[in-house]
Amino acid sequence: MRRILAGLLTLGLPLSVVSPALAQQSTLEKIGQSGVLTIGTRTASPPFAFVNKQNEWVGFSIDLVEQGVKPAIERKLGKPIKLEKKESTPPTRIPLLSSNAVDLIAGTMTDTRTRRESVDFSLTFFVTGAQFLVKKGSPIKSIDSIAGKRVAAQQGSTNARIIRERVPTAKLQEFPDQPAAFQALVQGQVDAYTNDGIQLYGLKAKAPKPDDWVVVGDFFSYEPYGMAMRKNDSDFRHAVNVGLMELIESGKYFELYDKWFGPKSETPYPLTAENKRFLIMQVVPK
Amino acid sequence: MNYQFNWSVLWSGQSGGWLLRGLGTTLALSGLAWLVAVALGIVSGAMRTVPWKPLRVVATFYVEFFRNVPLLVWMFFWYFGVPPLLPLAIREWLFDHGAEFWAGMFALGVYHGARMSEVIRSGIQSIPKTQFEAAVAIGLTTFQAYRLVIVPIALRLIVPPATSESLNLLKNSSVALTISVAELTFQTRQIETYTARAIEALTAGTVIYLGLCVGIATIMAHVERRFAIPGLIARGG
Amino acid sequence: MTDTVIEFRDVNKWFGNIHVLRDINLAVEMGEVVVVCGPSGSGKSTLIRCVNALEPIQGGELVVLGESLTKPGVNLPALRTRVGMVFQSFNLFPHMTVLENIMLAPVKVRGLSAAEASRVARALLERVRIPDKAENYPANLSGGQQQRVAIARALAMQPKIMLFDEPTSALDPEMINEVLDVMTDLARDGMTMMVVTHEMGFARRVAHRIVFMDAGQVVEEAPPDLFFAAAKSDRAREFLSKILTH
Ligand SMILES: Nc1ncnc2c1ncn2[C@@H]1O[C@H](COP(=O)(O)OP(=O)(O)OP(=O)(O)O)[C@@H](O)[C@H]1O
Ligand SMILES: [Mg+2]
Repeated sequence: MRRILAGLLTLGLPLSVVSPALAQQSTLEKIGQSGVLTIGTRTASPPFAFVNKQNEWVGFSIDLVEQGVKPAIERKLGKPIKLEKKESTPPTRIPLLSSNAVDLIAGTMTDTRTRRESVDFSLTFFVTGAQFLVKKGSPIKSIDSIAGKRVAAQQGSTNARIIRERVPTAKLQEFPDQPAAFQALVQGQVDAYTNDGIQLYGLKAKAPKPDDWVVVGDFFSYEPYGMAMRKNDSDFRHAVNVGLMELIESGKYFELYDKWFGPKSETPYPLTAENKRFLIMQVVPK
Repeated sequence: MNYQFNWSVLWSGQSGGWLLRGLGTTLALSGLAWLVAVALGIVSGAMRTVPWKPLRVVATFYVEFFRNVPLLVWMFFWYFGVPPLLPLAIREWLFDHGAEFWAGMFALGVYHGARMSEVIRSGIQSIPKTQFEAAVAIGLTTFQAYRLVIVPIALRLIVPPATSESLNLLKNSSVALTISVAELTFQTRQIETYTARAIEALTAGTVIYLGLCVGIATIMAHVERRFAIPGLIARGG
Repeated sequence: MTDTVIEFRDVNKWFGNIHVLRDINLAVEMGEVVVVCGPSGSGKSTLIRCVNALEPIQGGELVVLGESLTKPGVNLPALRTRVGMVFQSFNLFPHMTVLENIMLAPVKVRGLSAAEASRVARALLERVRIPDKAENYPANLSGGQQQRVAIARALAMQPKIMLFDEPTSALDPEMINEVLDVMTDLARDGMTMMVVTHEMGFARRVAHRIVFMDAGQVVEEAPPDLFFAAAKSDRAREFLSKILTH
């Protein structure tokens, strides 16, 4: 019922999207007027964005916005702004942007060429790739050994798409929620669960017995995470990118990385030299 | 900030095939679940009115237990809760043969059976008690009286509320995507994933659901006219 | 007329705390027509509804066609095929045609073929004088016609006894006679009948015996001439004075 309603609401969206008053206003003007930057983010995608045990909505992506993007926009507008967070999921995030309900998606969204037809992306702020989470001792070692196997994936993810194309004989089951997919793995409904490697490490770390599970396989996809915003709004996109570049340049980015992915964090995920170099090279000169 | 519509994503590439497959799954899921719901609804709805308390208690328990727990919970129950009770071989076989579809079907059927039961019970209770007495007075057993007289009359009286319950069932079938059943809503999301065209995909899904609902309502209206009890105007009176 | 087909022995019945039948002793012989009368609420309907076990009794014994209804394990559906009943409110099955109403029990209970049952049903419609209404639905029939179909439906099981609970009370006056005529025919053919009715003309002409009830008791029973001419009890005389003068 709720989904139908959501569908009907979306039917109404085109009306608001093309209404002339909104069509003229840029995102920076909108933020300047309201004094609020609204981001769409996740509630259960640790360590990028999640509600922690103290009931605080935190994470790496949120820190990047608070400590990089928000100050950059404030400097641009010449006044302080507030940050507001809304929940967005893979199926809702683009409509939320289009309808002006949020200004920026800052979660775990992979930048793709198809998505760039609908939205614009910031520079890449995190690099991962798809792997498999399996029970210890499983015969599945990589994407080459999943033919005929039951594999769970998160619906709306790029990984599912790649498996469907590269191993059509794998029995793909797509779940909208990570917990349900993991439960299916625990109970044997599926033999493996594929998602971005970093998410699998997060899941394994939070499992009741982390040692029962292993993340296997080379990255079979390239998942560059970016922040998404409405298309054709280059001033706003520039402000967002400046914020991210300053974080990387000042080294603050790597402090935050250490906080969320360092050896002492809940989901250790070392930054490879290659990825570090890639991040630094995205920073263009002043 | 003008949104550029691109409706061609709905038929270019694999989208059309996905929508069709999603539609097929939704119809199969809802159709089978509807049969389960109607069968359970008739049996339990009738049991709630019989002059024998143990049967009434069993039926009441079924109805209250199943309709007062959210459908999503039942989906998880049938998908995650039931398989561990089965022997390993059967479990593996099921997992390889669309366990999620069958779990979703039972969840939907049993849940809506409990709701259908209420519709049928109220239909039966709107029939004067003397109708039942007349049926047993010519020598029918209680079971025959229900099967041949009471239930057929009740079914004719409850077409309108049963229709709206059937539409609810159809719409609720989308909850099955939480246990990975690739039905219509799932496929519209799939299109969104591949094309990043959420509005177009959701619109397509909405229009298809709307079409299905209108179709069902039309069929049921036809059924209602076809099986109307001659001379009976007042519904449920 | 020597075989007793219905026998009440000290029958008592309660609805909760209401004592509806009190120590009823009554016997009906084969072929006898018994009219039950009495004031409203006196227990007439309850009395005849006990005969085909639509109401259970709580005390005493009731024997119908040689079967004691209080005996555990008695086959009620089988008994009811031998005891037909006609209700005040007709209670035809509205979703079936007249013919289907009559054929239902012969086919489903006695296992007749559809063709055979249809032949029997048409003959019965002839007998209740509406042969042309076979394909109609009950809603398209007048009250009198519906009640005659109800009688045909009961007769289709070839019952040994027929019970009537105020069969004409729901009818417009001009239709009463068509139903009473059918009942009179039936009585002439030797059917054993128990009839609750306020139609005293019918009682006088057709009944062999009148049973007068008040407050759950059988107060008086007598042949009609005697009852109407010289009822013994005050209660019966009072009842008669009310009913015959209105
Ligand atoms: N199902 C029932 N539950 C409780 N009380 C009942 C029930 N049926 C009848 N009674 C009560 O039992 C008594 C006898 O009812 P019954 O219907 O046998 O009377 P009656 O002589 O047929 O009256 P009438 O001429 O009004 O039809 C009445 O007091 C009535 O209210
Ligand atoms: Mg009565």
